[in-house]
Amino acid sequence: MARVPSELRRDDEVVAEFNSATTSRSWYRNLLIVAAVLFAVVSVGFVGTILWSSLPMWLHHAGTLLWGKGWNAPVGPFGGLAMITGTVETSLIALLIAIVIGLGTSIAIVFVIPRRLRNVVATLVELLAAVPSIVYGLWGLLVIAPWMQNTVNPWLNSWPFATTIFGNPGQEFGTSLLLASVVLGIMILPTFVAISREVLAVVPQDLVEASLSLGATRWQVIREVVIPTSKVGLLGATFLSLARATGETVAVALVAGGVANAQFHLLYPGTSIAAWIATQFGESQSTEIPALMALGVLLMLLNFGLSLLSRSLVNRQRRLLALV
Amino acid sequence: MEQEIMADIQSQATAATSTSSGPAAMQLRNVAVSFNGRTAVRNCTFDVGKNRVTSLIGPSGSGKTTLLRALNRLHDLTPGAKVSGEILLEGVDVYRGDITATELRARVGMVFQRPNPFPTMSIYDNVISGLRFNGIKKKSLLDAAAESSLRSAALWESVENRLKVPASNLSGGEQQRLCIARALAMDPEVLLMDEPTSALDPIATLRIEELMTTLKSRVSVVIVTHNMQQAARISDDCAFLLMGEDRTGELIEFDTTEKIFNNPDDSRTLDYTLGRFG
Repeated sequence: MARVPSELRRDDEVVAEFNSATTSRSWYRNLLIVAAVLFAVVSVGFVGTILWSSLPMWLHHAGTLLWGKGWNAPVGPFGGLAMITGTVETSLIALLIAIVIGLGTSIAIVFVIPRRLRNVVATLVELLAAVPSIVYGLWGLLVIAPWMQNTVNPWLNSWPFATTIFGNPGQEFGTSLLLASVVLGIMILPTFVAISREVLAVVPQDLVEASLSLGATRWQVIREVVIPTSKVGLLGATFLSLARATGETVAVALVAGGVANAQFHLLYPGTSIAAWIATQFGESQSTEIPALMALGVLLMLLNFGLSLLSRSLVNRQRRLLALV
Repeated sequence: MEQEIMADIQSQATAATSTSSGPAAMQLRNVAVSFNGRTAVRNCTFDVGKNRVTSLIGPSGSGKTTLLRALNRLHDLTPGAKVSGEILLEGVDVYRGDITATELRARVGMVFQRPNPFPTMSIYDNVISGLRFNGIKKKSLLDAAAESSLRSAALWESVENRLKVPASNLSGGEQQRLCIARALAMDPEVLLMDEPTSALDPIATLRIEELMTTLKSRVSVVIVTHNMQQAARISDDCAFLLMGEDRTGELIEFDTTEKIFNNPDDSRTLDYTLGRFG
């Protein structure tokens, strides 16, 4: 085949050339096919076995799993409400913390701090995102927990409706759902900043210049052009961070308290789906395993949903900018 | 053939030029722009005539766009950029005088190479975005400004009934006219245009060119263009820039379009307009 500059060739020509090159070395092609098939088998097997081993729970106790309050190992019933609410509460509060601090941080990185410092700060943020969660958990337990107990909790208890939101003062412990939320928030903050920084940074410079040329102040450019233009991508960053928060295990297991109490008081100990599975599995008996597997399925579906959602949002952002 | 085309361009240049040189909208006095100590363009001294079209012509790298962006202080965004000399708007030095960059840009509008309407805003919101930035909230005022600037940009008839649709629904040429309307809504004294037709097809280009000659009554225009025929057709005055041996652009000659194209003082100007280089 004649050598044509690749940008001039159509995709099917490239594919045809690739195919003809690989058939001449068919062992290589077969190796690729085997790898792909193996991957498909492993994925299907993974999802299939998890579904299969949780099947008894779904068939006979689905209602208990979703709404039941007590978890009575090893005989049951196995109620998942405490884990589900714990996951939702801690993830949403963590997300709130991450958005408030994170959006400010990424705006500062992209628009405020000098260019030379920008890459340094961005790299530091990405390093923080790579810190193993056990380290965050340990830090939360040793540093944040005493601080919250001595300083934050008494202050929170002085709020109006404190007992409704946080529970009776005096019944709280060092570990709580709120502590788990704070630690989770700090953990997902680097993830949120890393993604939202990139979303903000790809807003085309000529939109910024166009708004400045209309007499906009820098703050107006950010508020009325940059953020609306990147809204969809920022939402994508939000859902990816949420997915990270819901799946987080070790840190929550350390700081949430590990109590399967279905309640909404934030200063009481609680647990999350992931943390509960991790702490229960070691000594679980065959009666309990379907219930834990079913919790795993729930978490998996939740994260599938969040990932699909954030991916479609990020793609929508890309299409929006392609129009510019 | 070449001579015929040249004769054509020259006659267009003669027709486009109005000879009287009246008051100046902006005055450039020995303007130079440098980045991190390296001069990109220098020696620029000329007047942007009031209600005239001034084109900046010259080969790539001669500093036309760099000079244009100095006029509304867009280089303020670039660390290490420095503008020296004087740029006067109504006698006020836009860099050192009693005027902020934001105030200046509200009076000196800009249209860019690529049409760049705000993608999340409707046609209407795009047009009035500048007024909103400057704190105007009264609906009757915004409506009136939107209609009058869309009319000035020859876009009103085709968008009158779909003002609320996203600006991205418009064609490239319409988007560029929307950007012109957006700049006009601020009622600027000067409109800077950076190769505004380079991303457009010939018909859309023609419409923008027609537009520019009618806009003169409302605003003074400075346009950067690579297209000699465009410069000859639409501009009253021409500034010819060229990159020297030291790779720094400088102003070679400034005069009426007629003189630049027919009878320039500098032989390099003639060579360039004749298409002998660049």
